[in-house]
Amino acid sequence: MDLLYFEDFPPDEIVEYGDRLVTAEEIVEFGREFDPQPFHLDEAAARESVAGGLIASGWHSAALMMRMNCDAFFLHSASQGSPGIESIDWLKPVRPGDRLSVRRTTLSARTSRSRPDVGVFEMRFELLNQDRDVVMRVQGPLFIRRRPNGEAQP
Amino acid sequence: MIGLWYEDHEVGQTARLGAHRFTREEILDFARKFDPQPFHLDEQAAAKSIFGGLCASGWHTVSVSMRLLVDGRHAQRKAMAKDGEKAPPLGLGRGVRDLRWSAPVKPGDVIAFSLRVESLRETRRPDWGLIGMRIVGVNQDGREVCAYTLMGLAARRPV
Repeated sequence: MDLLYFEDFPPDEIVEYGDRLVTAEEIVEFGREFDPQPFHLDEAAARESVAGGLIASGWHSAALMMRMNCDAFFLHSASQGSPGIESIDWLKPVRPGDRLSVRRTTLSARTSRSRPDVGVFEMRFELLNQDRDVVMRVQGPLFIRRRPNGEAQP
Repeated sequence: MIGLWYEDHEVGQTARLGAHRFTREEILDFARKFDPQPFHLDEQAAAKSIFGGLCASGWHTVSVSMRLLVDGRHAQRKAMAKDGEKAPPLGLGRGVRDLRWSAPVKPGDVIAFSLRVESLRETRRPDWGLIGMRIVGVNQDGREVCAYTLMGLAARRPV
């Protein structure tokens, strides 16, 4: 597959991708390793908690979104990574059996002042469930190299 | 040690969360599941990348900081139970602000995490307060590798 460059991500673009079923087993597996609170570990204990039932760790939701971003474009783009994230909002719980997808909105696109070969995007990523609820919103900058001079357009 | 109720917090309080050594195996394991970019997965490709070698996914680094935070609180809850004291109900995280990955975490690095109470805010619900905690990870050379502000709900002490 041809590498995607800065020029391949138009400003104002809104795209959707991914279809990821979340199982109770993987919620518990992630919870055991990184976030062992009762509402990420055990259905019975979770029912007694403020979550009202088993829910995925917010960091698990973030990791699942990253995986969908990788499969959709990071792995075949000239990505230079991200220095960070402005904000993550966990808006609704992710529960066993949910099917997640991502809606990516390009908020702005410009060329880096210090590195003219790199483009800087401001992007918003929304994690959607099967009811089209936004369960998590992530916003931040993304650096992608510009298409080298002389290289043919795809 | 900072107490677990909302009222136990004051802006400026600090706490150590402990340290974690990132092994090659766990870096690869996380990357395979969640972030299979070449610099998290393949030593040779990583050597040619902007990082100059294999490094942990930034999402892995912050997930480990969560584990240390949760372990510390769990130990506090156990100690409270032993003293016959009621521990507050656990609150949920609401989000994160200003997350930065400032340096790569490489296999064998030992990252020490700390916390500083940054903001306290009452919410519309009388039983929960919102706490902003700046969590910072520093490697064995004293270099910051990540920092973020975790916004989380904490139960208010019943009057």
